[in-house]
Amino acid sequence: MSAPIRILGVGSVGVPDATPAEADARAGRLRAVLTGLSADGVPARLIHGIEELAILAAHEALRQAGVPMPYRGDDLGVVLGVEEGIDGIKARYYQGILADGPLGASPLTFPLTTPNTIASRISILFDLRGETLTLGGGNVAGAQALGLAVRALRDGHAAMALAGGVTSVEPEFLEAASLVGPSQCGSPGGGACLFLLGGSGSAGSAGGEQVLGYGEGFGPNAMHDAVRACLEDAALSPDTIGVVRAAAVCDWPSAARALRRVGISANVTRSPSSGLCSASFPLAVAEAVEQPALGAHVPVLVVGSDCLAGAAAAVVQGGP
Amino acid sequence: MREPVLVTGIGVVSPFNPNGDREPFWESLCAGETAVGAIRSFDASAYPCRVAAEVDRESLQNGRAPADPALCMAERAFKRALEHAGIAPGNGAPRRAGIIVGTVLGGTASGERYLRARAHGAPGAAEALAQYPLRVAAGALAETAGFTGPVLTVSTACASGTDAIGLAYRRIASGTADIMVAGGVDAVCELSFSGFCALRALTPDRVRPFSRNRTGLALGEGAAFLVLEREGSARKRAARSLGLIAGYAARADAFHLTAPHRDGRGLAAAVKGALQDGAVGADEIDYVSAHGTGTPYNDRMETLALKTGLGARAARVPISSVKGALGHAFGAAGAIEAVVCLLAIRDGLVPPTANLEEPDPECDLDFVPGRARRVTVRTALTVSAGFGGQNAALVIRGCP
Repeated sequence: MSAPIRILGVGSVGVPDATPAEADARAGRLRAVLTGLSADGVPARLIHGIEELAILAAHEALRQAGVPMPYRGDDLGVVLGVEEGIDGIKARYYQGILADGPLGASPLTFPLTTPNTIASRISILFDLRGETLTLGGGNVAGAQALGLAVRALRDGHAAMALAGGVTSVEPEFLEAASLVGPSQCGSPGGGACLFLLGGSGSAGSAGGEQVLGYGEGFGPNAMHDAVRACLEDAALSPDTIGVVRAAAVCDWPSAARALRRVGISANVTRSPSSGLCSASFPLAVAEAVEQPALGAHVPVLVVGSDCLAGAAAAVVQGGP
Repeated sequence: MREPVLVTGIGVVSPFNPNGDREPFWESLCAGETAVGAIRSFDASAYPCRVAAEVDRESLQNGRAPADPALCMAERAFKRALEHAGIAPGNGAPRRAGIIVGTVLGGTASGERYLRARAHGAPGAAEALAQYPLRVAAGALAETAGFTGPVLTVSTACASGTDAIGLAYRRIASGTADIMVAGGVDAVCELSFSGFCALRALTPDRVRPFSRNRTGLALGEGAAFLVLEREGSARKRAARSLGLIAGYAARADAFHLTAPHRDGRGLAAAVKGALQDGAVGADEIDYVSAHGTGTPYNDRMETLALKTGLGARAARVPISSVKGALGHAFGAAGAIEAVVCLLAIRDGLVPPTANLEEPDPECDLDFVPGRARRVTVRTALTVSAGFGGQNAALVIRGCP
């Protein structure tokens, strides 16, 4: 059995805000975070919307765990799933060039056309000098980030990792995606969910939430392979799973069949965040550990899949 | 106990070898040639800088419908790597085989094609969009090979290819995969060119890494993949080993989005981390494949980082950058440079730093100017640094 990984802190943020007052409160939180980090040289107006979501989620996860900010250490890394979240920025940047030639190229916007900028912004603001990795796996990008962090912690490559996903589903992405095929992402919005993870021996102020196992698969049996690998990783039998929580899933009927083939008979609930692509899986994990449907110690299987990147599964459990 | 991680295949596509033949690539690099020339893939006449190192795009298409250039290069380099390793697509134990692709831009060239069509009132090219997402190459290559293990796309700016190999190495070392194909790909496109131009990072003529008169980087493009394999798996297939991945580490500068830390804090930590990971002493390093972009900030930073990371050894080890020859191929660069290390180990020959004619007193290490040098290379180090303060280092050893 692989060692469980402790969830030391969770931060999740979603947009659009329900009311203008909530939007104002979110903007105020960002200003407070930047001031608290002595990052006054980074005006809030230069922080893009998707960065804001990730920064607020990271801050909350670190705060819950009692990690000093800025951290100034290289044993804490960032692993972030990002893909479609920057497509709107890239499209608008390139449209500027098409309209105005070289003068349309903004040196302030250009860095945001590279996917790693969001993870790097977090590493810079919070002074996290460990591994900073960005994964592009579409709907399972956030899941893959969690999986990579779990593996790095178990293998001793880091003491702690801030891991999860972020997205900003913009009109440009939705329009383009609709031309290619059916998409899980139905309306503009955004979200971020980051966990501060630590090895089983790590200190922290959080409760007993844990990631017990992780698995992934690709190809025609992707979901089956991912769930089976995940259960093996957690050393759990299928009948111990109390609930299945589904994040974004690209082909639900075949995913349901795969779960049955593995021997999972638990009820399946769809995450309300399943339209948030790269962020959907971490948000579903957060829902599972923060609001355990059958009690804190009942393992919950979270599944997700992407038509291009395969499937991912994690077993998690809430704290006391 | 950690499994040895063998390299059993290499595939590389660059401006020197669009068809993926390894030897012309290596011969051109060792001859000090440069592929940097006038940009052909888009109209750069309005820009103050107009050079890049491009692969012959026509030779990539093979007469088929327009396909994304990055995807074409990735497919070719991947196929060559599998051939070199003696792996037939679809063969083997797919559940224990996977792929990690490093890329910054993915199919951005296809995204540009779609947006250009829309701007001119033409209907959007849906087939171009299908090749746009970052994760397309990894999925397409895994499907071709029949791999069903980990299929990941890592995007860590100019360290992407190095991180892809490093993460794949860890999968095998930890015993969770038998075979991992890992590397990187990126294609020149106007989006990235315009951005680097706006940041004034591009050279108007030649790339001169570590030179006093260096004027910036040139964009490059290509793809490279290594087949990494568990020793037991390679033995079972009677596969030949080209070397071993012996250590890897990645560290963040945590300093600035577009500028490196002035003293190379993150890169030095990555070098130390990779040596520690591989239990390799700095004195064992016989060659360093440098990041060496030819920008004023990078080359000075890298010199300081190597001095910190390697200590006294930095002054005695040959170090060269191939970016004077190939430009900067972003996500592919680190993987191409890992191939350079393996070929240097194979031949006992290190390529020169092309265009290094006026040494910079601030870059006062042995950067192999002029011509290739005969050196017995048992252990090599390759380093990468990128936007956002991304840094990664790999230690590569010859077979005992």
